[in-house]
Amino acid sequence: MDPLTILLVIAVVGGLYMAWNIGANDVANAFGASVGSGALTIRRVVLLAAVFEFSGAFFVGAPVAQTISGSIVAPQTFAFRPEVLGIGMVAALLASSVWLNIATFFGQPVSTTHAIIGAVVGFACVACGPACVHWRQMAAIAASWVVSPLVGGVLAYSIYRYGVKRYILESRHPVYMAGLFMPLAMGSLAGIVLFSIVYRGLPGLRLDLPAAYAAPIAAGAAVVIAVGIRLMIRRRMWRHHIRRADRYPAVERWFGYMQVATASYMSFAHGANDCANAIGPLAAAIQIFRDPSNVPEQIAIPAWILAFGGIGIVLGLSTYGYKVIKTIGKNITEITPTRGFPADFGTATTVLVFSKLGMPISTTFVIVGAVMGVGLARGFAALDLGVIRRIFTSWVITIPVSAVLAMVIYWILMAVMG
Amino acid sequence: MPGLLGVFGKSPFEPLVQHARKVHECVALVRPIADGILAADLDRVNELQFQMSRTEYEADQLKDQVRQNLPLRYFLPVDREDVTRFLAQMDRIADDAQDFAIVATFRRIHLPNEYHAEFVALVDKVVAVSEKLLSLAERVAQLQREAFVGPDAEHVLREIQEVAHMEWEADKLSRKLARHYYGADDLDPITIMLLDKLCVALGGVANHAENVGKNLRLMITRK
Repeated sequence: MDPLTILLVIAVVGGLYMAWNIGANDVANAFGASVGSGALTIRRVVLLAAVFEFSGAFFVGAPVAQTISGSIVAPQTFAFRPEVLGIGMVAALLASSVWLNIATFFGQPVSTTHAIIGAVVGFACVACGPACVHWRQMAAIAASWVVSPLVGGVLAYSIYRYGVKRYILESRHPVYMAGLFMPLAMGSLAGIVLFSIVYRGLPGLRLDLPAAYAAPIAAGAAVVIAVGIRLMIRRRMWRHHIRRADRYPAVERWFGYMQVATASYMSFAHGANDCANAIGPLAAAIQIFRDPSNVPEQIAIPAWILAFGGIGIVLGLSTYGYKVIKTIGKNITEITPTRGFPADFGTATTVLVFSKLGMPISTTFVIVGAVMGVGLARGFAALDLGVIRRIFTSWVITIPVSAVLAMVIYWILMAVMG
Repeated sequence: MPGLLGVFGKSPFEPLVQHARKVHECVALVRPIADGILAADLDRVNELQFQMSRTEYEADQLKDQVRQNLPLRYFLPVDREDVTRFLAQMDRIADDAQDFAIVATFRRIHLPNEYHAEFVALVDKVVAVSEKLLSLAERVAQLQREAFVGPDAEHVLREIQEVAHMEWEADKLSRKLARHYYGADDLDPITIMLLDKLCVALGGVANHAENVGKNLRLMITRK
């Protein structure tokens, strides 16, 4: 076999492995709480997660993939030796896979996003010198890592403090108010998701509408969903009379149903942002290896490669991720649905917006921010700041470590192939 | 996510309620001890005192457990100070209840019948204060789940006022009883002294109960 084919195979396997990892470890972020509260069985979770992770990756995955494959270091830099870019991207994939495995072995949580970004920067630094890295773009990405948890936190805080708490928990008729709140929440959720799909989405499916068309479509769908859910709730609430003492459990129950939707929303956003960690480098490598003579301005992200990433994630969650979800579901009793909703909704919305902006952020980072936001509004009985600190440190360490790993693997590959 | 699970610390509110229950168990023993005093049954009082000190010891252990589960790195929806003060005041209730039991074992007290009604009224009022407080403290964990707002929180705030009112009533009963026995010519001084010590202990229980109520109010309204 010629070396290019071998590299191509390694790239595909590496990309698939990354996607598998994302599905195996991170999908629990979205669905852990709904399994814990008993809103969903594990079988349904796998089905829902598969559908929404895939749709997120497929419909909204392209911008972030483009950033990772072509904005940190411009493909044109390698116009005279295109195979270097391909080998570098393969090295990045391998480096982050290796680091993910090491960290998981030691029980440390890591962010695939930070690993892959660190690795791409690492290989670029040795392949063409630090000067060729677009540091301005890197600064923007680093800033988004700081800003995204803050945005998630502020959103979650506001939804909890000024929505759930003020209008439902503080009200004299919490169940009735929940019945008004839920259609609004579900309507806006559907509207946001639809907007993210049709607004400058996949050109192949003619989903690349301008805002002037996308906004009314999304708003219309939001209204239809809101009205439909309101009618459903009214029918069910009329049938059940709720005693005074059962008011709050009833509110939690209603929010529990909604958790199914917010968890799906979370996994949609997660697919949209994190899938790129696997397919961004893969897309670059494939494009170079298939046609080394022609280095494009921007790496194109074809629909089939988005689907490939989506399938990888689905594989990960169905072969291993469900186990993680199960363990977490058993242990997570602190997130009651009224607290889970603001945290999930805030996280998912933030991640989706950043995905559309092409910013590779860490979903778990945003979740921590959102949980803190709800905590600041007196939402949780106790939050362990020590653990939060540890999570952040392990992510910060990830960046230099995966960069160095990528350099080493790049050198090895160059020595073997070159 | 496996790492994310650790973000949620152990709630201090459930153990707080357990401690409050244990403390009230101590106070609930005051009534049978008072009956033993009035019946001049020192054996019975001794036996109850033993039970009291065991219960108080268990309450102490629970208290230490709550404190241990309250590391500084925890971020709580209430002020950490309020939690520790709540515990300390609860602890004093148990201490005073135990004081009452110990004083009762010093000596057989021969209390004339005319004092019985007033003494029992005072004891019952103090136990009632503690009972009311317990019913409020038991809702702390529930209130946390309801984010310390809404009709239930308002209800607890109103009831705290009620605890303060009952403490005042207990105070009045205690003063009335004191006037009665200090003014008596037929009681021997040692009996008066012991009665006074018993009343001070009872007053302490009611007082600290009121303080716990105030603390609870701070927990609910602060932030």
